Amino acid sequence: MSRNGVGPMVRRRRILKVGAGIGALQFTAPFIIQARGEQPVKIGFIDPITGSLSALAVSEVEGAKWTVEQMNKKGGILGRPVELLVEDSANDTGTGVQKAHKLIERDKVDVIMGDVNSGIAYAIMGVTSEKKVLHIVPGGHTDPITGKDCKWNTFRTCNTTAMDAAAVTGELVKKFGKKWFFITPDYAYGKTLQENFVKNLKKAGGTYEGDMLPIANTDFSATLIKAKAYKPDVLLNNMGGAAQLNCMKQFVQFGMAKEMALGGALYEIETLRSVPKEALTGWWVMEWWWNQPNVPAVKQFVDAISPALGGKKPSARHWFSYVSINAVRLAAEKAKSLEAVKMAHALSDLELPPEIALSPNKIRYRGGDHQLMSDLFVGQVQPAGPGGPDDLFKVESVVPGEQAAGSAEATGCKISWPA
Amino acid sequence: MSTVTTRADATVVRPWQQLVVIWALLLTAPFWLPLVGGYTAVAARVLVMALAAMGLNLLLGYTGVLSFGHAAYFGLGAYGAGLTLKYVAHSTPLAIVAGTLLGGIAGMLFGLLLVRRRGVYFAMVTIAFGQVCFYIAYKWDDFTGGYDGLRGFVRAPLDFGLFTIDITNNGMLFYYFVVVVFGLAVGLQALILRSPFGRTMLAIRENERRARFLGLPVEKHIWISFSISCFFTALAGTLYALLNNFADPLGLNYIMSGNIVMIAVMGGMRTFWGPLVGAVLFVLLQDYVSSMTTNWMSFVGLVFVLVVLFFPRGLMGVLQRKPSA
Repeated sequence: MSRNGVGPMVRRRRILKVGAGIGALQFTAPFIIQARGEQPVKIGFIDPITGSLSALAVSEVEGAKWTVEQMNKKGGILGRPVELLVEDSANDTGTGVQKAHKLIERDKVDVIMGDVNSGIAYAIMGVTSEKKVLHIVPGGHTDPITGKDCKWNTFRTCNTTAMDAAAVTGELVKKFGKKWFFITPDYAYGKTLQENFVKNLKKAGGTYEGDMLPIANTDFSATLIKAKAYKPDVLLNNMGGAAQLNCMKQFVQFGMAKEMALGGALYEIETLRSVPKEALTGWWVMEWWWNQPNVPAVKQFVDAISPALGGKKPSARHWFSYVSINAVRLAAEKAKSLEAVKMAHALSDLELPPEIALSPNKIRYRGGDHQLMSDLFVGQVQPAGPGGPDDLFKVESVVPGEQAAGSAEATGCKISWPA
Repeated sequence: MSTVTTRADATVVRPWQQLVVIWALLLTAPFWLPLVGGYTAVAARVLVMALAAMGLNLLLGYTGVLSFGHAAYFGLGAYGAGLTLKYVAHSTPLAIVAGTLLGGIAGMLFGLLLVRRRGVYFAMVTIAFGQVCFYIAYKWDDFTGGYDGLRGFVRAPLDFGLFTIDITNNGMLFYYFVVVVFGLAVGLQALILRSPFGRTMLAIRENERRARFLGLPVEKHIWISFSISCFFTALAGTLYALLNNFADPLGLNYIMSGNIVMIAVMGGMRTFWGPLVGAVLFVLLQDYVSSMTTNWMSFVGLVFVLVVLFFPRGLMGVLQRKPSA
């Protein structure tokens, strides 16, 4: 098209425009990593720092940065400093995979961590297993990561949905009864979660009914009326994020709190902070809780990290990062190497020392499926108690991870190690 | 007059010069990228996004119709490739063909319903179709993997009988594979644009009413253009699935459609190579700025606004001569 045209003169304005364009491009130019005298141990951390899961991701990154800072003060890993490279997956799988390639191929990281979004965590597993890099998933919950799709190089710190469901079912059946009503988001995570609940409920001889709703549902009146008519002992809210919150608000407005118990699998302090007081109710699982009077190491940890968090208490997400990064150190020290296979072998069945575990029971990354057998804190959500604005949860019982998880074989995981 | 022409000709980038520069850069990318802090996978991603946007550009830049739902065909291509590798046969070429056909044929069928709409209505209906595809992939857990995405497939090595090329484990070989597919695709696009059909597309873009008065079946041409555009974008989608060994529903989402449009507009939607330049800019912004700040989306937006304000014909449009008026 333009080939046939008669070209105009080169105008000063055009030169200026091109110049400005080239100038602007400099901002996007790739920056070169400078050579450093001392070779650090590199940990690549991929999380959705932007997008709908950002609150959780930001906590994980805060925890990771603080842990690395502390670790470097104490001599790092194998005497080498630790460098944390944080990348934003933007809650998008393609970007997450891209960042994993970038961290492994360009930055040559020794370990990859991430992602909060289990879909992205999964996809990253594809890259890390192909490149044979140790991968720790601090906070992506979908079961197959340490279940039927488990890999020799992948370890997970947070619980599986099956563990969360099993832990809370026992408590709710014991306390309230066996007739349940489910409100569940209609996608893979919600379905797996409900299946796990139903499995445990049936084992206890219970009956149930439920509704599957769109993931970002806002109006729960029809479902709540149905639930009211069913007269369950427990109403189980599996929704997440804003939908979880709306469901709880409407549950309270409908006056149903007096008629039945409310419960669900997972609640995170990041979400609780934005819940209005009247909706702070129900039985849930916390994967780690900052207030454990019987475990002295917890208080030391909380006191140490709080100032770095602007005075806020650490959440389970901070703890995930703390445990995951320390696990790398412990594995490297045990293996005396940063080789992925050796570290993975060292980490299998490695029991975490109390100052890392920060839990009442002994916990370890189970060798059979590489899942951390962490304690589950079942209890009630409450409006801020005497312990300050973050005292939003009262622990009623602690369920050991092994008990909630069942056997490693039952998860469907078969780990095959490279020759 | 003659002196003016000569001076202008001397400074303008000629098409063959463009071609030489572009292909030289693409073919040597794995060697110079690491020197400037890049890596091969990012180059493959640039090509994939560029191909998707060039597909869209056939419609947007050369026919003058805006589709805001091209992610649907991109994503269908990705799912088509992934599902083929997972359930049908472990063959990369077959996956590419199947994915391209899935996305392209879906585009042809949707296109039948679209061609009588114009302007914003056309764009709205394309968004709607895109979201339909998104929700199908999102809800059909057993088949597509639902929200978690489709996994459990890897690209297969290319088997030529006498020898095989291992694009599965070798990132650089896979990059060259993408370059070859990209080259064939853009070559085909250039042929289409030079054909009488391509000229007709331009005529419709410039003045639809006049084209109609000349007796051209405008609707039919827009439909064909839309379909071809969908085939190319679907082809890009298959490469995306092979690059990531993964297909996810967000690849079908309207946000992805927006990204594809942004790439085409930033690079220069009435130029052939514009979307490639746009893809370089977009992917690099995404890749590098997001490592530096969590507000990287603001930078992408800012650059987009600046480009639209100061280079309304896109970055590549600036390098090319204005069409003779």
